[in-house]
Amino acid sequence: MTLAHYMTVSSLLFLIGIFGALTRRNIIGVLMSIELMFNAANLNLAAFDRFLHPSGAVGQTLAIFTMTVAAAEIVVGLALLLAIYRNTDTTYVEDFNLLKG
Amino acid sequence: MIEHAYLIPLIPAAASFIILFGAKEDPHSPLPWIGIGAMAICLAMAASILWGFAAGTVALPYEQNWTWFSFATTIGGSSFVYPMSAGVLIDPPAALVLFAVTLVSLMVQVYSISYMHDDKRYKRYFAFVSFFTAAMLGLVVSSNLLVTFMCWELMGVTSYLLIGFWFERTGPNEAQKKAFMTTKLADSGLYLALLLIYVKVGSFQMTQIYQFFNHGYMPAAAATVCGLGVLFGAMGKSAQFPLFIWLPDAMEGPTPGSALIHAATMVAAGILVVSKLFFVFLAAPVAMEAAAWIGLATAFLAASMALVSYDIKRVLAFSTVSQLGFMMCALGCGGYTAGLFHLTTHAFFKALLFLGAGSVIHSVHTNDMRLMGGLSKKMPITFVTMLIAVYAINGLPFGAGYYSKDMILAAVWNHSHAIFWILLVAALMTAFYMTRLFALTFLGDDRDHEKFHHAHESPALITVPLIVLGFLSAFSGAGLAHHGFIDKVLPAPTIAVQPGAAPSASAMSEAPSAETRPVPAVGTPTPSASRIDSESSVVAREKSGEKREEAELPSWLSLTVIALVIAVTLLSAAMYTGPKFAAAEWLRSTFAPAVTVLDNRWYLDAAFLALVALCDQVAALAFWIDDKVVDRVFVDGWGLLMRLFAELSNFLDISLVDAVVDGFGGLSKDVVGEGLRSLVVDGQVQEYLMYAAIAFALSATLILTR
Repeated sequence: MTLAHYMTVSSLLFLIGIFGALTRRNIIGVLMSIELMFNAANLNLAAFDRFLHPSGAVGQTLAIFTMTVAAAEIVVGLALLLAIYRNTDTTYVEDFNLLKG
Repeated sequence: MIEHAYLIPLIPAAASFIILFGAKEDPHSPLPWIGIGAMAICLAMAASILWGFAAGTVALPYEQNWTWFSFATTIGGSSFVYPMSAGVLIDPPAALVLFAVTLVSLMVQVYSISYMHDDKRYKRYFAFVSFFTAAMLGLVVSSNLLVTFMCWELMGVTSYLLIGFWFERTGPNEAQKKAFMTTKLADSGLYLALLLIYVKVGSFQMTQIYQFFNHGYMPAAAATVCGLGVLFGAMGKSAQFPLFIWLPDAMEGPTPGSALIHAATMVAAGILVVSKLFFVFLAAPVAMEAAAWIGLATAFLAASMALVSYDIKRVLAFSTVSQLGFMMCALGCGGYTAGLFHLTTHAFFKALLFLGAGSVIHSVHTNDMRLMGGLSKKMPITFVTMLIAVYAINGLPFGAGYYSKDMILAAVWNHSHAIFWILLVAALMTAFYMTRLFALTFLGDDRDHEKFHHAHESPALITVPLIVLGFLSAFSGAGLAHHGFIDKVLPAPTIAVQPGAAPSASAMSEAPSAETRPVPAVGTPTPSASRIDSESSVVAREKSGEKREEAELPSWLSLTVIALVIAVTLLSAAMYTGPKFAAAEWLRSTFAPAVTVLDNRWYLDAAFLALVALCDQVAALAFWIDDKVVDRVFVDGWGLLMRLFAELSNFLDISLVDAVVDGFGGLSKDVVGEGLRSLVVDGQVQEYLMYAAIAFALSATLILTR
């Protein structure tokens, strides 16, 4: 198991996350894809820490912080989602055009 | 006494300020006596100097200088600090003139106490007279040409004030302007001459300038220009042809003031400066000849104008001009002694004539001689003193004018016979018109009975000065000519080397090298210069010796002159005494055109007016050209051109440059901006994300593949 393996896995995860975020019609799916990209980043952090600085645990620590922040972010996201759903009665992204200016 | 000579001009100046500012104006103010006292002190000092010189106890020339101020200057390529000195330089001629000026001024002031007693500006008049005299005395004693020029100008100002003393009237007002502007025109010549002298010599000190000329360092051309400039200045101040137009009008002032101007101060200053700078003329034969001919023209023209005038003061004014012409002519012919001698005697008898005329005018209240006549019965003292003065000015034997005029004629005879004959005619005319004046005023019968009835002898304050001046007019000529004293007092200056005789190149290089105090080689003449000195001074001495020997008229000529003068005097007396003036009337009607010309003063005033009018026209033309041509074509035209250019530039800016700018703006707004906007206009979050991803991917690719 070298660093390359980890990076390959994390890249795939990231790409899947991007793809999902760009293509999913359901907002829940978009949020899940975003979680995938978070986790790809976390995996990178942990892997770089493990291979480049084996003695320390800064990367892992940072990964845990990221998970925390991600959890909080998901909370905010779901809360917004609920609010939008109540107003528009839909969870499809293409129906949301509040940003149109 | 002589070490306090610097006080001579300062005392009257101080007196004039005291009189002017000392008290309020009051027709009976006692302040004028301060001026008289000051002048008496000056007279005493001048007399003691002259007496000391005659007795041999005072050595003249006496010079004393004080540093006035100093300044850095560059002359002849070398820089140094030049200490400008001011001081007194009293040579024998100056001593004589000092005596004459102070005496005449004293007499005039005493006379004025009575003459001016009712005037509302009584005090101011005396302040002016004192200041006038102070300026003249300063001019006489100054050792510095710049100070001399300063006094010269102060005199110009004071003459302006005195001529226009009654400035409420039009006549004095016009006369003062005329006098001031005419003399100012001439002063420019003197000023330029002084500047040229300073540039060449590097000093304003008389003695140093004399040494510079004496050694022939002055180039001939520069000397000629200097001489002509000084002559031009003197032509204005001393009323020479053609600038004498101001003097006949100048008698608009108070009569004693006129006496001062005509006898002692103003007009004498021009002659005096020419005589002070006589060495300049010696170095410039052209200027000398010009002086002779100008003097001759002045003497002749003025005498001819005096023949026909009926205004007593005007005749005297013309006579002054004429006599000044005699002096200038004498100076121009090399008769230094004769010219200054005549200046002195003329000061006495002309002051007497004016004061006498003033006494007559005071008595009969008119200037017109046709309304006088027979006044000898009413005014015996004035009559007798005027008789002495007329006797003197006519040049009758043993009067004051006889000696000086004889000397002038002798000097002129030696110079040029042509000038002599014309000058003799002028002298005979002098005798004629002065006798005419005297006969019309005092002899014959009274013509205006009322005026005659009111006529009276003047008070003692007027007659005493007349008597003193009469005494001097009678005896000053004989006294000064006694035993050749006048030759001792007024020795003709000579210069050792004529310009051009000395090698000018070495002289010019040597003169500045003797500087720091630029005393051009007084103490240390170079060998070459001193050699030339001795050689040419021998020549000069021989020449002057020759001249000295023949500075006498041939006896036959001398007797002829005396006979002619007596004949003309008797003729004139006969013509103008009797109750009928048949001969005079006949002359007047026969030569009516000539008389008209003379009455109009040879049309010189008209000529000057025409000249001024012409200048005015030329100025108007120049203004028209400036206004209509220069301004229109160049200034306005240039402006118009610039405006057209600006319009064109503006058009190009708007149509080309702005169009390009607007084009780019429109392109970016309408094409690029709107295009991009239409892409993202939906508000689809996933589209935004996609663009972000594309942008991220592109930049990442660019960075990584770099």
